[in-house]
Amino acid sequence: MTEYSPGLEGVVAAQTAISEVDGANGRLIYRGGYLIEDIAPTISFEETSYLLWNGELPNRSQLDALRQEMTAARKLKDSTRSVITSLEYDTDPMDVLRTAISAQGAAKALQKPTVSEAIALTAVIPTIVAAAHRRRHKRDLVEPRAELSHAANLLWMIDGQEPAKERVHWLDQYLVLLADHGLNASTFTARVVASTGSDLTSCVVGAIAALKGPSHGGATYAARTMLDSIGSLENVEKWLADAHAKHARFPGFGHRVYRTYDPRAKILREMAKTADPKLHQLAAHTEEVALKILHEAHPERPNASNVDFWASVVLTGAGIPKELFTCMFATSRVAGWTAHVLESLADLRIIRPASQWMGPEPGKKPVPLDQR
Amino acid sequence: MPSEYVPGLEGIVAAQTEISLVDGANGQLVYRGYVIADLAEEISFEEVAHLFWYGSLPSRAQLDGLAAQLSSVRTLTPAAMTTLDALPTDSDPMDVLRSVLSVQGVLPHLEKPTVEHAVHATAALPTILAAFHRRRKGLDFVKPRPDLGHAANYLYMLSGKEAAPELVRALNTYLVLLADHGMNASTFTARVIASTDSDLASCVVGAIGALKGPAHGGAPSAVMDQLEQIGTAANAEHWLREARNRKERFMGFGHRVYRTYDPRARILKVMCQRLNPTFYDLASKVEETALAILHEEHPERPQATNVEFYSAGVLQAIGLPKDFFPPTFAVSRVAGWSAHVLEQASHNRLIRPQSEYLGPQPRKPVPLAERG
Repeated sequence: MTEYSPGLEGVVAAQTAISEVDGANGRLIYRGGYLIEDIAPTISFEETSYLLWNGELPNRSQLDALRQEMTAARKLKDSTRSVITSLEYDTDPMDVLRTAISAQGAAKALQKPTVSEAIALTAVIPTIVAAAHRRRHKRDLVEPRAELSHAANLLWMIDGQEPAKERVHWLDQYLVLLADHGLNASTFTARVVASTGSDLTSCVVGAIAALKGPSHGGATYAARTMLDSIGSLENVEKWLADAHAKHARFPGFGHRVYRTYDPRAKILREMAKTADPKLHQLAAHTEEVALKILHEAHPERPNASNVDFWASVVLTGAGIPKELFTCMFATSRVAGWTAHVLESLADLRIIRPASQWMGPEPGKKPVPLDQR
Repeated sequence: MPSEYVPGLEGIVAAQTEISLVDGANGQLVYRGYVIADLAEEISFEEVAHLFWYGSLPSRAQLDGLAAQLSSVRTLTPAAMTTLDALPTDSDPMDVLRSVLSVQGVLPHLEKPTVEHAVHATAALPTILAAFHRRRKGLDFVKPRPDLGHAANYLYMLSGKEAAPELVRALNTYLVLLADHGMNASTFTARVIASTDSDLASCVVGAIGALKGPAHGGAPSAVMDQLEQIGTAANAEHWLREARNRKERFMGFGHRVYRTYDPRARILKVMCQRLNPTFYDLASKVEETALAILHEEHPERPQATNVEFYSAGVLQAIGLPKDFFPPTFAVSRVAGWSAHVLEQASHNRLIRPQSEYLGPQPRKPVPLAERG
């Protein structure tokens, strides 16, 4: 038996061709060997999903076929719609998503995960997220529109208005950048669930449950909340110094794997300039001051802002309300989750690690109830 | 340096725990120091839950307190009830459990896992299952009875009648035996989700998804299928040899951790003999034959019957339909899942292992119009 490594840090838990996080060199590689910076400027979320599922970028007709299959799968089942409308108005959108995906996938018989199911799950998430948002604001649900792309249709269903081209582009690029990232906690959850032979819905529901955690998917929301609370350029220094004095962590800084700047953060930082110039200015100054403080406190650590920090600015520019930030992460990452599950089927082995016993010596005799 | 990849994380220590110890070499299962054989027929499921959540067997007053707390939260929320009614009646009960608990567990705000949350989840599962059972049979919902214990109330809500004391005792023993079992896949799923600081309901929903897999909680139903196909004791040898020629696995045999007889299987076998003689006559003959065949094939391997094999007979005797075997496993294991979530949350570190990249080295994407 190996020594215990908390958080399984440094433990290889899967072999994968879906993505590689090269932390030492600050590189993220997507399936097929593409660097994220080569994918991001020109390739859509639909193409990225196709790549993660099939191993190669689609040609024009393959992409058209995928788009058609996705638009056909955007509709909620009647039962899912009833489930969503049974929830309290103020339910956390991630709880709505977890529940609605579970209901949408309720079936009579167990099914082995397939690419078609991955497509259907990916296609329906925006419909659920938009419904959760509309309901929260007591507004009618907006039906999906088949001629719109994945990102454009999502903005349409949230607002009920035709979105501007730039907003669609920013959201689409965000979705591309976040679609996969090695064995992060939610993807690992999906693979553990898949390892029992369970269905794809169960894997994605488990992954959503993991992404909900503030230490994982919740960080983008926390970064934006920090920027809101700082409020103005003049307040940056004081706010961060106070927070640091109280030993508060700065959301949006640091990463377990990257020892250098996160390549996704670099791209989002550049996009943020046009997506929301004012918030970008505040964020850039916050980044500068926070890094100075962190560097003074921990000169030995590779301090850097991460993807959550800059994603919070780009999503704001795209017009996404911050309550939906974690759901946006799920909207993107579902492509990676499902790709990992499909990949794991080729050599399925139940993931059942060992544990180290820290309890009392076995053989204690129970005292009868009345003598305790 | 990352460690070498071990498929299924076999032998890799993923957690330190005081909740249960699976001593595979000696065929022992230990709950917080107590050997399972000393607990199984002596104590109630509620006492085990107390042992897991608080670290000690309860005094009479503590037990009464916990029992009262459990019975006070057996009712489903209106949203959970509507969700249950919205799902198709032919849904897999595991999908119903996953979806309805996802609603029942919704909190107004994200909270750190507490014993109170554990009580809520544990109390809700029998009500969800019984309500679904009644609904799909076209029968009225039976309200929980606060004066009945956990096992007795589950059976009461299923049938609308108080069950015979012998059956209540049998179900209680089953619930005690299955309540925890080291780092099995569903418990590990719950801990990975907890490690992101997500809420307890999310952990349990994810664990249900993992338990659904045929390689984990689905096994007792598969045992029943196999025994139904075999039909008679006289047919056992012929059927099993044929199955072997078709390279089929025998259901209910073998375990990654036990190198000897599973102590839970031993207890369930004795119960089966008493409660379900018809099942026992066939099953014990199948067991004997299957073990002989497995031993012929792999004399070097420790071949043994596992807990699923005789679980099937006990759950059948209690009157549960076959597709209620996996969710009834959840009714028991939720005590362990939630204890592990509390333990993980008490000294948490994000579970984020590494992966080994098997894909190609970086290359440039071909523009869409030029792809073949």
